[in-house]
Order: sequence, then C-alpha cells, then structure tokens
Amino acid sequence: MSTRTASRPIGAIMSDTELEMPIIDMALPMPGFPAHRQFVLVRLNDEGLLYAFTSVEDPELRFLVAPPEPFFPDYAPEIENEVFAALNTKDPDRLLVMVVITAGVDATTANLLAPIIVDRDTRRAMQVVLTGSNMPVRAIMRKDY
Amino acid sequence: MLVLTRKAGESVMIGDDVVVTVLEARGDVIRIGIQAPRDVQVHREEVYKELREANREAASPNDAAVRALTDLLRPANAEPPGD
Repeated sequence: MSTRTASRPIGAIMSDTELEMPIIDMALPMPGFPAHRQFVLVRLNDEGLLYAFTSVEDPELRFLVAPPEPFFPDYAPEIENEVFAALNTKDPDRLLVMVVITAGVDATTANLLAPIIVDRDTRRAMQVVLTGSNMPVRAIMRKDY
Repeated sequence: MLVLTRKAGESVMIGDDVVVTVLEARGDVIRIGIQAPRDVQVHREEVYKELREANREAASPNDAAVRALTDLLRPANAEPPGD
C-alpha cells in the first residue's frame, strides 16, 4: 500500500491563517463524540502553537490541538489512501496534522496514536488511528520545545 | 448475541453493506477482513475504547489548564523560566 508522510514544516502552518474560522466537517466523528460533526479551529497562541478545536453544535466542547512539529520533531505520521478518500483529498500536501492535547495538572500529554488530519482544501477532517505505529496515546509534551 | 459458525473464506453480512470475512483460522488467532462504507469506523475494540477514553479526558479542559498551557508555550524570551 502506498503511503506518504503528512509532515509539514512549521512555517507553513504558522503562516496559514485561512483555517481559523471556516467550518470543518468531520468525515467520521471523533470516538466518544458521535454527535459532533462540525468544528472550527480557533487560534489560542500568537505563534500558532495552540488551537481550540471547537464544536459548532456545542461550543462548550473543545479540544486543545497543536501542530506536532515543535514538540515532536521526529513525528511523521504516514497517512493511508483510505484517509485521502475519506477527506476527498486531491493534494496530500494540503493536509494539516494536529495532535490532541490533554492538559493535566501534573503533565500535559499529546495523543500521537490518533492525530486529527485536516484537508485545508476540502475542509474535511478525521481522527486517524495510526494502526501498527506503536505511537503512544499519551506522550508527555516537553517544556523546552 | 447471535452466534454463527463460519469457515475460512466464508463471510457474514451486517446490514446491506458491511461484509465480515474469515480469512484464516490458526489456533486461537482468527484473521478477519472487513468491508464497510467509508462512513463506518472500524477499529480493534481495545484501540477504540482507549481512544474514546483519551478523547473524553482531553475534551473541554478548564480555563486554568488552558492558561497554564498557554503560559508554557510562551516564547522563552517573553517570560524567563523561574528555575
């Protein structure tokens, strides 16, 4: 099966402001949240390091998400063709990878097993399980990014 | 629970468009293939449950946690670390 990396240089993401408010349709709902099919990405950090992935149906529901590059430089998930099909992706270079962050009292972790992949052109997204990658669901986020 | 006996190569239909096929049975390991429409999620049960749990933990962090994380991500020259 042909795969390709969706890793992107951070500069490309930081300069990308076009996704800040447009509605993103989930190709598949996030596990545990079947009723939430539309989200917006709200920038929380001037440097573009932190966003709130916020439900349109229920603004009380939001996930903190971040581009993985500054925190996990070696992280380069391989995206399978099924994901391209689900997102109607024409150009894999237009995919944006975001990891879901759990902000804890003692430790902040990022879900590297199941990043949210957003197609910037089709505005479709899904949480992709990187089957067989052995990536952790709770990777400690380093403070000295 | 509906219980069916199938041999390798045989399938089960779930609804009109999900096909579960037994590919191989070797000892207590059964390999199955699943054909499902794109909008049907297929996960190993334990992976799905772990992901659901992780998503619920991550959902809707309180303002204090968000503030702490925002502070953490502030550029180092804006606020030198205390230690």
